[in-house]
Amino acid sequence: MSFAIAGSLDEALAALAVGARPIAGGTDLVVGARQGKAPLPASLVAIDRLDELAHIESRDRGIRIGAMVTHSQLMIDQMIVSGYTALADAAALVGSPSTRNIGTLGGNVMNASPAMDTGAPLMVLGAVAQLRSARGSRTVELSDLWTGPGQTSAETEELCVAIDLPPRPARSGSAYVRLEYRRAMEIAIVGAAASVTLADDGTILGGAVALSAVAPTIIEVDDAGALMTGHLPDAAAAAVATAASDVARPISDLRASDTYRRHTVGVMAARAVDAAARRAAGEEIGVPVNRAIGVGASR
Amino acid sequence: MPLLTESKVFIRPDGPDKVTGSGRYVADITLTGMLTAKFLYAGISHAEIIRLDVSAARRVPGVLAVLTHEDVPERRFGSIADRTLFAKDVVRFEGEVVAAVAAIDAEAAQKALDAVVVEYKPLQVVTDLEEAIADGAPLVHEGWADYEAANVERNGNVASFTSMTRGDVEKGMAQADHVVFGRYVADATHAAPIEPRGVLAQWEGDRVTIWSSTQVPFQARDGVCETLDLPTNRVRIIVPHMGGGFGGKCGFHYEAHVAALARVARRPVRLVFSRREEFIAPDRRREGMIIEITTGLKSDGTLTARRVRVLLDNGAYSADSSFFPHMAAMHTLGPYKIDNIHAEAFSIYTNHQPSGSVRAPTAPQTCWALESHTDELAAVVGMDPVAFRQQNCIDTGETGVAGQVYDEIGLQECIREAVSGIDYGQDLEDDEAIGVAVGWWPSFPGASGAFVKIDRDGKGVITTGAQECGTGSVMTLPILAAAELGMEPEDFELVYQDTSVAPYDEGATGSQTILNNGRATVEAARQIAVQLKNLAAKKLEASPDDIVLADGRAHVAGSPESAVSIVELAGVAAGGELLLGKGSGTPPEYPSAVGVACVGDQGLSGWAGPQFSCHAVKIRLDRETGVVRVLDVSAAHDSGVIINPIGASGQVEGGVMMGIGQALTEGTVYDEDGAQKNPAFLDYKLQTMADAPPIRVHFAEVHTPNMGPHGSKPIAEAPNVATAAAISNAITKLTGQPVPRLPMTAQRVWETMRGGGDG
Ligand SMILES: Cc1cc2nc3c(=O)[nH]c(=O)nc-3n(C[C@H](O)[C@H](O)[C@H](O)COP(=O)(O)OP(=O)(O)OC[C@H]3O[C@@H](n4cnc5c(N)ncnc54)[C@H](O)[C@@H]3O)c2cc1C
Repeated sequence: MSFAIAGSLDEALAALAVGARPIAGGTDLVVGARQGKAPLPASLVAIDRLDELAHIESRDRGIRIGAMVTHSQLMIDQMIVSGYTALADAAALVGSPSTRNIGTLGGNVMNASPAMDTGAPLMVLGAVAQLRSARGSRTVELSDLWTGPGQTSAETEELCVAIDLPPRPARSGSAYVRLEYRRAMEIAIVGAAASVTLADDGTILGGAVALSAVAPTIIEVDDAGALMTGHLPDAAAAAVATAASDVARPISDLRASDTYRRHTVGVMAARAVDAAARRAAGEEIGVPVNRAIGVGASR
Repeated sequence: MPLLTESKVFIRPDGPDKVTGSGRYVADITLTGMLTAKFLYAGISHAEIIRLDVSAARRVPGVLAVLTHEDVPERRFGSIADRTLFAKDVVRFEGEVVAAVAAIDAEAAQKALDAVVVEYKPLQVVTDLEEAIADGAPLVHEGWADYEAANVERNGNVASFTSMTRGDVEKGMAQADHVVFGRYVADATHAAPIEPRGVLAQWEGDRVTIWSSTQVPFQARDGVCETLDLPTNRVRIIVPHMGGGFGGKCGFHYEAHVAALARVARRPVRLVFSRREEFIAPDRRREGMIIEITTGLKSDGTLTARRVRVLLDNGAYSADSSFFPHMAAMHTLGPYKIDNIHAEAFSIYTNHQPSGSVRAPTAPQTCWALESHTDELAAVVGMDPVAFRQQNCIDTGETGVAGQVYDEIGLQECIREAVSGIDYGQDLEDDEAIGVAVGWWPSFPGASGAFVKIDRDGKGVITTGAQECGTGSVMTLPILAAAELGMEPEDFELVYQDTSVAPYDEGATGSQTILNNGRATVEAARQIAVQLKNLAAKKLEASPDDIVLADGRAHVAGSPESAVSIVELAGVAAGGELLLGKGSGTPPEYPSAVGVACVGDQGLSGWAGPQFSCHAVKIRLDRETGVVRVLDVSAAHDSGVIINPIGASGQVEGGVMMGIGQALTEGTVYDEDGAQKNPAFLDYKLQTMADAPPIRVHFAEVHTPNMGPHGSKPIAEAPNVATAAAISNAITKLTGQPVPRLPMTAQRVWETMRGGGDG
């Protein structure tokens, strides 16, 4: 087993080119290995000292979030909290303070768990992943990136260097809502993110909804935009709830039955739409929504 | 009057170590040449061993010992002597130890385990309690009629059994206006201490020292002596800091395995469990149950009869579970006035992990069932559930279900104070409700001893076999000694948790420490008090009878200015007759229970020093998801006089948090083959700090003679009894019907609301 600490992005890419696996915070990789999910890779390259990957920067068209940005950064960053609130909602729910201090956005995205919390928010916010290898760079849509539980379309030599988010339209808001049985160290039983843009008359101009933990990957509710457009938020939320339950393909496991998941993902979707619309209308709802407005019993 | 007022801050002596991380636990201790131990577990719930060959494992480089049943004396142990250190011929649950290895590191140990050849012929797995006692059920222990056991009935898969009868239950039912039946099913849960256990053994000649994270070092010692054929004075058990136990570290566990490994390897050997091992292997799990209660009552709320039947999942072996049927029967009958009762409780062998004492064994589940049932009774006669309990719960001088007449008790005060502490009857949101439940728990008097000495500078040491597993004896023993001697708790250090240094104690089990070791410590301190008074009398030219010890001084009664400091007296004693006290004292007697016919009661039908409680809990229910959140808790306890309010409140708060977990999120799930599906904290969900509601605590301080020091009764387990029940009653107010299965997970609550569910 070999372990190398990359001093530069090029070093990291060179290590990946010869078969090393990246380790960021290690909160998935190391904990998973200990639980016996998968053994630690024989060769690891640590990317946690690559400061250039640890920034959130504003760009001409939207923002760029470095892969090494932690959940703790995301949940308090002003650009994220004000413009991309669903992502802050999600980051604030991850694990415990120590998990958030060490777990990264890149790790969450590339680990590709169907229960990952940042996935649904990134999807409704229109994020794309920036992948880089020693041979070049490419931009990948998230729906193309996640191919199954724990699987991505990235080549083994590719590093995710950043997530890019497009600018937010005026009068828009977003929210991520997760079903929680308890208030810390929870894993999504189901979750839903919504992004909503309002017209001047308070009806919905457009938006998107995505779901966690109800399919092999994060999925979008494809017709959510059409279902919401032209409606007031209440009606839109009800329509989205049904659509979300319909599109969900949940499994039954220890955490919940498929029936229960199918039902509650609809509830989460409706609450996400509601919170996103209220934020779009200018209402201040603290991060995470779960705590602020009493989603589930977390009020 | 507490001996330590709330205004006085007494920092618990082990606190700074634990908080700063400087404290040493078993896993922190390293000895020169130390090896790593690992166990090979059955990994199958019921099978015949048809081949077991460790020869290849012994040849793995770096491996210094590989043991199986062939390498230790053939001995059965347990409250029913039904188990051995290593499986022989048959394995009966997935976590049964088949072989143990000691190697220079974990990797070599793992390689050795991988090299063990073991072949099984699967046997029919017994998991369902009703099926297990049906005719023709496969037996978990074919030969169990030959095992040694005291006062148990031998019948099929029934490991132990209790039957209690008082009055005439048929007649009582016939007098009733209403007869209400309820059936409740509780899943198994775990103690889940934060520190997975560790054991380290080192031999010097023919003596072995074992560092173990055990709550009961003397029991552990006796287990080693019994299974390895050693006299008690050659086995020394030392417990460094322990990261919680909650009963999970009671009993004799792996000390003998590790000692045997170390003897063969001729090196110190250390075993440290993973979280998974902590879940599947120890014979300590809170048992699953099926509880059936039928109650007859009159329209005015008078209880006329109660019949109960409880099935307990004993698991594959009987650690200390043979008294559980009796406890379960008593808790399902409850602290009520009912003249006609009949109870039957069976602890049933299955191929699950063995059950054993976990904080208030049998009580949270049975209390949950009974108290859910009690709210239903109140509803049937249209009474408020609190008024119903006030009418039917026992009070001072009244007769309980087992025919015991109670001396002064504070149950009625507990009910009154718990509900007033939460403002019962307040206007609530329509998704909020308050549930109330009462509970009780007995005291366990037993033998214990302590030494106290005061050295030349007036500083004291208490040497005790008592254990600190988080119950706070480190605080309360010094408080008790100081009170006898007019000194401060800070004047005392404890030397504890070492079987070769201290007198016997039963350990941190059954809420016993202050009851029993407190008595011993007080007695030892009193001997020194006599010595100090004699010294002071000489010095002050007074009679020893007139000497008062207070504020660090000895003075003549009535003239505080005529005084000498204890430091000065200690200096005098240091040059002559030393200040040494030893104490044990006679344990309080168990009261008799009159007029109850009882089989298999293990001598507990009369409860010594019963403790009472009432918990009132306010919840919010998310009706769309079934998620319940606990908003507020008011807990009132009669644990007699409270010696140390800080410690006692801490016990209540911790007990309530465990109760919330049991109510809502904690439950072990088994697959069809008897294996645990969630032996990890990812899917065995404890409550976290973030979930903790405000918890208000009231103590009904009934002075209880002939029990603990200063009129006290125990406190550690009682707070873990009534919380789940109170939460259940709050949920039912919102759902309209009880959730018939514990834990009342969000999904189960939701399914109950939809009608149906998995029952
Ligand atoms: C106690 C606990 C609680 C948790 N709670 C939550 C939760 O509530 N919600 C949630 O979503 N997750 C949770 N997680 C999972 C985990 O913390 C997050 O997914 C975290 O964001 C992972 O980031 P990391 O940097 O630790 O990833 P690592 O473990 O370092 O990596 C994860 C995977 O991604 C790969 N990888 C990492 N970075 C890159 C990169 N830049 N490019 C390509 N591949 C990369 C690694 O090779 C590995 O396969 C929890 C974990 C723990 C231990």
